[in-house]
Amino acid sequence: MTMSRYPILFSPIRLGPVKVENRIVFSAHLTNYASNGLPTAQHAAYYASRARGGAGLIITEEHSVHPTDWPYEKMIHAWKPEVVSGYRLITDAVHQYGTPIFAQINHNGGQGSGMYSRLPLWAPSPVADPLFREVPLEIDEEKIEEVIASYADVALRCKQGGFDGVELQCSHSSIVRQFLSPATNLRSDQYGGDLENRARLLLEITEAVRHAVGEEMAIGVRLCGDELIEGGTGITEAVEVAKMIEQQGVVDYINTSIGVATATLFTIEASMQFPPGYALFIPSAIRYATNLPVVGVGRIKDPQQAEKALSEGYCDLVGMVRAQIADPDFANKAANGTPEKIRLCLSCNQECVGRMGLNRWLGCIENPRTGKESHLPPRPARTRKRVLVIGAGPGGLQTAIAASSRGHEVLVLEATPHPGGQIRLAASIPHRAELFDLVRNQMNTIAELGVKILYETPGTLRSIKEIDPSVVVVATGSIPQRPSWLPAHLYFQDHIQAGSATSLSHPHPVTTFSEQQLPGVRELYPPSSGGPDKLDADSVEEPIMASRTVAVDVRHVLEGMATPRGRVVIVDDLGFHQATSVAELLADRGCSVTVTTSAMIVGQDLGITLDLEGWNMRAAAKGITQLTELVPEGISEGEIVFLHHPSGNRLVLPADWVVLAVPPEPSESLYFELIEEGIETYRVGDAVAPRKAHAAVLEGNAVGEML
Amino acid sequence: MTSDPSLRLCQAFRIRGLEASSRVVFGPHETNLGEERRFSQRHVAYYRRRAAGGAGIIVTEEAAVNPSDWPYERSPLASLCERGWRQIARAVHSEGALAIAALGHSGGQGSSAYSQTALLAPSRVPEVVSREIPKAMESRDIESTINSFARSAISAITAGMDGVEINAGQYSLVRQFLSGLTNHRGDAYGSNRLLFLKEILQAIRSRTPNAILGLRLCIDELAPWAGITPEIAVEYILGLANSIDYITLVRGSIYSAWATRPDSHVEPGFNLPATRMIKEALKAHDLSVTLIAQGSLVDPRQAEDAIADGVVDAVEMTRAQIAEPDLVSLLRLHGLRARYRPCILCNQNCQVRDPRNPVIGCIGNPEAGYEGADELPGNFLDTKPLSKVFDDQPENEDSSREPTGTERSDRAGFRESRSSPPVIVIGGGPAGLECARTAATRGFHVQLYERSHRLGGALRFISNADGKQRFSLLADWLEGECMSLGVEVILGVEATPEHLSAPSRAVVICTGSRPGRLTFPISADGVVIDPAEALNNIGSIGVPDGSHLVAWDPLGGYLVLPLVETLARRGYELTVVTPDLIVGTQLSRTGDLVPLQSRLAHLDVRMLKHHRIREVSADEVVVEDIFTNRRSSISAAGIINGGPRLPDTDLWNATNRSYDRIGDALAPRSIAEAIYEGRRKALELPLSISTIGSTVSSGS
Repeated sequence: MTMSRYPILFSPIRLGPVKVENRIVFSAHLTNYASNGLPTAQHAAYYASRARGGAGLIITEEHSVHPTDWPYEKMIHAWKPEVVSGYRLITDAVHQYGTPIFAQINHNGGQGSGMYSRLPLWAPSPVADPLFREVPLEIDEEKIEEVIASYADVALRCKQGGFDGVELQCSHSSIVRQFLSPATNLRSDQYGGDLENRARLLLEITEAVRHAVGEEMAIGVRLCGDELIEGGTGITEAVEVAKMIEQQGVVDYINTSIGVATATLFTIEASMQFPPGYALFIPSAIRYATNLPVVGVGRIKDPQQAEKALSEGYCDLVGMVRAQIADPDFANKAANGTPEKIRLCLSCNQECVGRMGLNRWLGCIENPRTGKESHLPPRPARTRKRVLVIGAGPGGLQTAIAASSRGHEVLVLEATPHPGGQIRLAASIPHRAELFDLVRNQMNTIAELGVKILYETPGTLRSIKEIDPSVVVVATGSIPQRPSWLPAHLYFQDHIQAGSATSLSHPHPVTTFSEQQLPGVRELYPPSSGGPDKLDADSVEEPIMASRTVAVDVRHVLEGMATPRGRVVIVDDLGFHQATSVAELLADRGCSVTVTTSAMIVGQDLGITLDLEGWNMRAAAKGITQLTELVPEGISEGEIVFLHHPSGNRLVLPADWVVLAVPPEPSESLYFELIEEGIETYRVGDAVAPRKAHAAVLEGNAVGEML
Repeated sequence: MTSDPSLRLCQAFRIRGLEASSRVVFGPHETNLGEERRFSQRHVAYYRRRAAGGAGIIVTEEAAVNPSDWPYERSPLASLCERGWRQIARAVHSEGALAIAALGHSGGQGSSAYSQTALLAPSRVPEVVSREIPKAMESRDIESTINSFARSAISAITAGMDGVEINAGQYSLVRQFLSGLTNHRGDAYGSNRLLFLKEILQAIRSRTPNAILGLRLCIDELAPWAGITPEIAVEYILGLANSIDYITLVRGSIYSAWATRPDSHVEPGFNLPATRMIKEALKAHDLSVTLIAQGSLVDPRQAEDAIADGVVDAVEMTRAQIAEPDLVSLLRLHGLRARYRPCILCNQNCQVRDPRNPVIGCIGNPEAGYEGADELPGNFLDTKPLSKVFDDQPENEDSSREPTGTERSDRAGFRESRSSPPVIVIGGGPAGLECARTAATRGFHVQLYERSHRLGGALRFISNADGKQRFSLLADWLEGECMSLGVEVILGVEATPEHLSAPSRAVVICTGSRPGRLTFPISADGVVIDPAEALNNIGSIGVPDGSHLVAWDPLGGYLVLPLVETLARRGYELTVVTPDLIVGTQLSRTGDLVPLQSRLAHLDVRMLKHHRIREVSADEVVVEDIFTNRRSSISAAGIINGGPRLPDTDLWNATNRSYDRIGDALAPRSIAEAIYEGRRKALELPLSISTIGSTVSSGS
């Protein structure tokens, strides 16, 4: 056996009675895969694929111990005895790979709603949660006994269901944390007041659970190290609680988290705007004060980061959830000396965290199999087709990957010198660079599959006919579109088209599949996380000086074709990162920036990816003004006019430049030309309808799997 | 009281040769009762209950005609609905109503979150909230969608449904084709916006020639610059000529999704003027089509007048029948003087297009959505439809007898005299009233204590807010039922432990809530206004007229914003301070979120979003930006405490916590929970146990 690049990461550790082969934990997270309150075959397939992929330990999503705890629709009701058959399904599936699996059990207390249960919430004190906003019932000692007994019952049920351990979620969304925290525990009985009293419930639960399950099962406690709320628990008390747990002697390990799920969620499942390992101070402090094994978490997404956290002594195990959502084989690829093959998580939060908040099943922006592990994988193609993909954005690349994986012969034509399409632009913004890992990951697979890409080669009817493929997939993306309220002569795009900036569409030699030497094939983009070259504001020639107000698309700015200066008004009609990204970029360059939107908030979709708080904090720090419920009506000399739709008032803002984050239009003409010619043609991604990257990836995958 | 058998609402009428037993329609609406994309047994029970109560036509929840439309997770999919339609048709027919299947496609107003494919629409116009850009349909998409409509209709009719209703109203691809807002096509479907619908109707009619073919048509998109107007709608209807059997007239567009089924801020029957205009225009063209009215029709008199005046042939009274399934039966027996549980147009629990998939419910009728669902929370012991009781009686036997409650108790065969130990209910708010009413229905002797001089509690003070007057109707109904059932009401008495010392069967504490703790310091001379108190005494809230008040609203909820609006209209200056980025977040489910912004803007209410209050003194409120922690101060005469409330537990504590609490006295929540718990508690009272002593807990 060769020396691993990650010696500690791939060394075993004991958690009480359970031996864990490596330090990589697929720790607890919601999936919304449950049906009627019960675990499903999808759960089993999902966890099993991470076990097969080499995870050292799997901890399931939380299971509710009591009927009063039903905060979201697809919660697993572990208080129903019939969960056991689903438990067996999960544990058998995972155990076939020799991987231990623990069940996380919990009562969310006041962090919930009576919407599904028609019961009042239970909590230490009648303090409404800031998200659910429902005043809970202050439970008496009889109900506290009931809660404790329900944990013990469910722990025993987990044992019957074949789990190797249970983890008590006492951290970001739990009645136990609510008892621990002075912010939510206002009691004056033996369960409130000093820390010893506030920790009483926790220690009574651990005691009861150990009594119920005996010594053969591991018991873990997940603690919140800092609630990040006023008057809440901080690291000092968290460490004290960990010491009490150790002293009690029934718990085998401590897991950690940061924040409160309903008050400071954006710190728990942090997006790429947070530095990796931002929460490692918590396991570090607990590990220093106790001898229990401690799990560290917090946006650790590659094996190098994990090894570093271990070798520098922050923690004993590393929870890596999103890393393994994106790539179930994360651990094996790292262990086998091929970490560069890992499909790195972007921390974009779009299809994992983002779907959880909307009561949808968990997916992944770049892994179309996530959430569909129980479906049969695509079968190899019966006949090998010659597939021509037009466009090397995320949709085109995914089409090529899916089609090539099934044995088709694939060629990709790309009009520009680079792969990645709009992702290149999006990733050129501060805080967004990791988005480019999407393209980097796809290009690694493309290289592995040997798919050829011709750059600076636009697909035209003529060139396609010469190549004579059996199938064409049009993945040509979208182009900026002038909104109807904007006069054409003030739109920058029209200046470009009238001028000389047409280099992207010049004719290029055509090649065919049979040619071995493919002219125009550029070196693939190097597989690093750095993203495309950063745009250097000072080196960009300003093609047009704004002698009057000119409106440009976000893309024109990011491509360096326009360099707005002075007073910039950004119109956000998309609600995602486009407007906020360019606002930050331009504010950093010294512009005076105002972002407007017709919606009720700027960047409305940033909420579900947990980017909204960070955006607002940075926007305030950068002096960016945000104005809402404004519909642009027109531009005149040096100003832009809006209708404030709730009041009907007009608002005029001075503007040297207007930057538009507005719906683009699909590049679809080629598709219709090919259809007209009777050529078998499909289209994917923005070429169908301009949407987010995951739509392009999913459609590319679907077409590639269908051919 | 006289029975009025002559109400036109209750008369039968014919559509395409089939008889509907009344002119009251239970219209199509989202329920989230489905199992995945199929109809469930809960659907069957839900529709059966309304058919049993006298609805003439039941139109089932819209089924998407093909998988490209998956607008909400539990949206029925036609290809999976045949079995459900069969069961619903059987159930609804057995109760004497017609069953019609709503069919539709949401087009660009759907969601790609579940289907994970592009939305389809006539043109690439994004819906305003989701902002998702749809795919402009190719001709083959159009063709396959038309075929899907026909296939779905065949399936529904095969299953035994009497007809289908095509949605060209809110959330519909067909309306998107009909409208200049959303149809910018350059082909035949753009030059003739009616073509798509015509082809759908033809395809259906040719394959199901004997079935009822209805159309749900938007007649006003409230966007006259490009949208459908009543004038355009007339043209469309003329163009459809004799290809349809009825049209249900609705309104609203992508810019006004809230306007189709608005809450009580919009007058009941708001769509009747436009409907009348359509009727007259059609008459002028000598065209006679069966018209059905829609639009907050909750008042039987208004509905009756619309039919009697010849405006429409029938009325959709959907929310009215969610609240009172027996509406038609009661009208049949008692005419317009019937007492029925009123719909108050609150939209709090019956509007369920929400990603959390709440099941349909009703603030005042806790059975709605839970009909006969034994294993579910909310199982009721007493779920036999009231009409079954009526069926046992010969018609017109005794028109003077009291409705509802007594019949149920007669059936239970259990009735206690005034001398027997009472069930004592403390507090005459929604929880106490419903508890007393239900207990009396079951035959118990009930005493109801209310410390104020009026029954109704929160229902009364909320009704003092502008746009919320209808809340008092529910209080009136509960009060009236209690009176007619012989509940002994003791007003103006603050119950004490001594009142409870006499023998009783049970004591239920429903003392409501009190203002919650503030999370910031108030100086001794700082003024804090309790919104409940202020609504109770809206004329004298304790600060000089016209003062500037700061409303602290960390909940975005139902109580403080109606007060703000009401005070602003009375000349006070208002600033709402909220930690949220949007004022009134909780109102999104009711559909009032957008209209509220407009009303507040017109009332010059200032909004300080993403701020929290830090301290309050006599004339100043210090606030802090939650993103920057920057503080600033506002001069104000006082604050309104819109924060979470606390249970009023004084009496409960004074009686050694030995009695059961329900509603806000347990945990302050909405009126729906109070009424549900009132019902549940009364249904749990044991019939068999003899008198209990005052010191004994009533159990659970």
